[in-house]
Amino acid sequence: MAAWYKQATSRRRIFNLQLLALMPVGIAALFNTGYQYLRVLAENPALESGDIRGRIARGLGASYQHPGIVDMLAAGLAHLLPILVLALITGGVWERIIANRRQRPMESGFILIALLFTLLLPGAVAFSHVVFGMSFAILVGKAIFGGEGKTFLSPALLGIAIVQVSFPGSAGQHPLWQGLTGYGGSEAFALFHRGGEAALNAADINLWSAFIGNTPGPMGTTSVLAVLLGALLLLVTRIISWRLLVAQIFGLAVFVTLFNMSGAESGVGAMTIHWHLLLGSFLFGAVFLACDPVASCCTNPGRWIQGFVIAALVVLIRVANSTHPDAVIPALLLASIMAPLIDHAVIAINIRRRSRRHV
Amino acid sequence: MPGSIGLETSKVSRIALSGRDFRGVNFELLCQPGDEVQAGAVLMRDARRPAIQFVAPVAGSIASIERGARRKLISLQIDVDESAGVVRYQPPETQERDSLREFMLASGAWSSLRTRPFGNIPHPDAEPAAILVTALDAEPLAPEPQPVIEAFSEEFHAAVNALAGISAAPLYVCQAPGQALTPGGSSKLRYVSFSKGYSAGLPGVHINALCPIGFGGGEAWHIGYQEVIALGHLLLHGSPWLQRIVSIGGNAVKNPRSLCVYPGSAVSELLADELHDGPIAILSGSTVYGRKLAEGEAFLAAGQRQITVQRDVVGEARAETGVLVPGDALEELAPPGIYAVPLLRALQVGDAERARELGALELVEEDLAPLSLACQSGCDYGVLLRAVLDQLESLR
Repeated sequence: MAAWYKQATSRRRIFNLQLLALMPVGIAALFNTGYQYLRVLAENPALESGDIRGRIARGLGASYQHPGIVDMLAAGLAHLLPILVLALITGGVWERIIANRRQRPMESGFILIALLFTLLLPGAVAFSHVVFGMSFAILVGKAIFGGEGKTFLSPALLGIAIVQVSFPGSAGQHPLWQGLTGYGGSEAFALFHRGGEAALNAADINLWSAFIGNTPGPMGTTSVLAVLLGALLLLVTRIISWRLLVAQIFGLAVFVTLFNMSGAESGVGAMTIHWHLLLGSFLFGAVFLACDPVASCCTNPGRWIQGFVIAALVVLIRVANSTHPDAVIPALLLASIMAPLIDHAVIAINIRRRSRRHV
Repeated sequence: MPGSIGLETSKVSRIALSGRDFRGVNFELLCQPGDEVQAGAVLMRDARRPAIQFVAPVAGSIASIERGARRKLISLQIDVDESAGVVRYQPPETQERDSLREFMLASGAWSSLRTRPFGNIPHPDAEPAAILVTALDAEPLAPEPQPVIEAFSEEFHAAVNALAGISAAPLYVCQAPGQALTPGGSSKLRYVSFSKGYSAGLPGVHINALCPIGFGGGEAWHIGYQEVIALGHLLLHGSPWLQRIVSIGGNAVKNPRSLCVYPGSAVSELLADELHDGPIAILSGSTVYGRKLAEGEAFLAAGQRQITVQRDVVGEARAETGVLVPGDALEELAPPGIYAVPLLRALQVGDAERARELGALELVEEDLAPLSLACQSGCDYGVLLRAVLDQLESLR
């Protein structure tokens, strides 16, 4: 029976649910990262890296000859875990320092930020970049605004964006990454950019493998299936706004169709809607970054508008800018900065309409 | 005629008029403890607007007059003794504005009108932009208005026509869909139906939809259906209506049902032998818009239609972060047409101007009660709203 005892969903409960929603993505990330690593090694064993990730993978016994589930899991753990731990330590240290200086209890939100940030990175990211991005996320993304709930951008989004713009092409020293596109997003997307569907077929990427996430890319964003599971949980528990999510996907369909109809013969302009959804990190960003309740519009009309803005920007950057084949991170950043402006306009219209009816 | 609508009657031995039900009134007492009073006898009036009078809801003797800080009236308690009799009021001979108003003021019925903005008793000479009769109740476990109105339909319609006569403004009867209150009488009468959610019965929602209030000085008046019936009783029979229909419900109540009680009944007497054992929380109102009864609020409020008693959840502390996290839940609990998050933010920072633009003048504390519960910031938006309203009232 209604609200009196159905009190505020506590911060802790929301936090736990958000972590839970990221679990399918995390598991998919483990297997896919391991799989991609071992696949590259199987083709070219000389690429085996000597850094700590490669050594852990070897130490855990991940074999690239006929790799099984256990091998993939071991290789995935060897890549994801060091990055995650490093991000957690970086975030935790900053949080501790800030909590001490402000004489306030430490906030736990950095755990979620670290997890999101890690899942948006490629398995081959340089450790120094992890520390840099995570520091930026906590300090500039969160602390200077006063902490959790007072930010206007998703801190993880800001962290990943700063890594992308600071080191645009430098993640190529590792077999997992092979110098395709730097941090700027999805290799699968870059493949399409260069050779269309034929290039995807040549790289063994089909609809099914893209759906379950068996494609190269940032660790957590490749599996559409896992993202959908997380989205389902967040929608059922009403942590994210369904309007914003639907607006993004519907907007993507509209703008992709427009570009398809405009007669592009090749390249991303001719890419159909299902590939837009399956490749790259659009859905991951749409669910876990764009729908951050604090950093998105707070009025319902504003949410619809913001969703369409995100979709328009994603499609536009994807089509027009081949150096940013995935486009999701810059699009989300721009849309997130615009959110207060959109709200302002929506509220102004509402006020004007009210004042006309006033007695 | 207690029990005439077939409900169980619960007679308590003590009732009270509570000062907090009449905001902004500076009470001037016209009686003393120990006085014998008839039902309908004038007990108090507003010192600043002496035409506004407050009458004894039931006959008996004045038991005590409780005062708080700065001698503010907390409650005027009466030990019920029906044998003391009833004051008769001569119904007005004409349906003219002035004679109707005079009758309402003299008989105490005027004090059951409320204004928006601010939720005060209207000034005796004021002109509203609209008068709203709240003839529906959408909250969980509230008594059904329709059988009550049907049982007293003569009184109800007489009073509605009289209310239409006290001003030139339209009179809206807000009812549930399918509740066929037959239109008739004055051409100023409009019948409007509201549905959708628990908030459908809130005057704030009706006013928002029918006559949004700006800063031009306009105001809307509203009155609950039971107070309308009470006015009708005065008009038709010349004597006050000695009962109100109140429901008791909630998961700590053994036998949830509607009761016929005296206005202002002592809650503890009503709930005697009604509750399960264990820690409880008594709410004035429903689980959605109800307010936990504070210490010393032991009597039914004016216009209150339900008491909810819930098992208290011990040990589950509220997460109070001080931070407003927007979400669909806030939007759904806000009165329709009002943007919850911008309004709550304006209230948090005390931005009276923005809050007014976003519709704060149409609201009072009860409208924001569910938002205070749903928001994890732990803010009591009712208190913040009142602070903003006080600021706006002083500017008006």
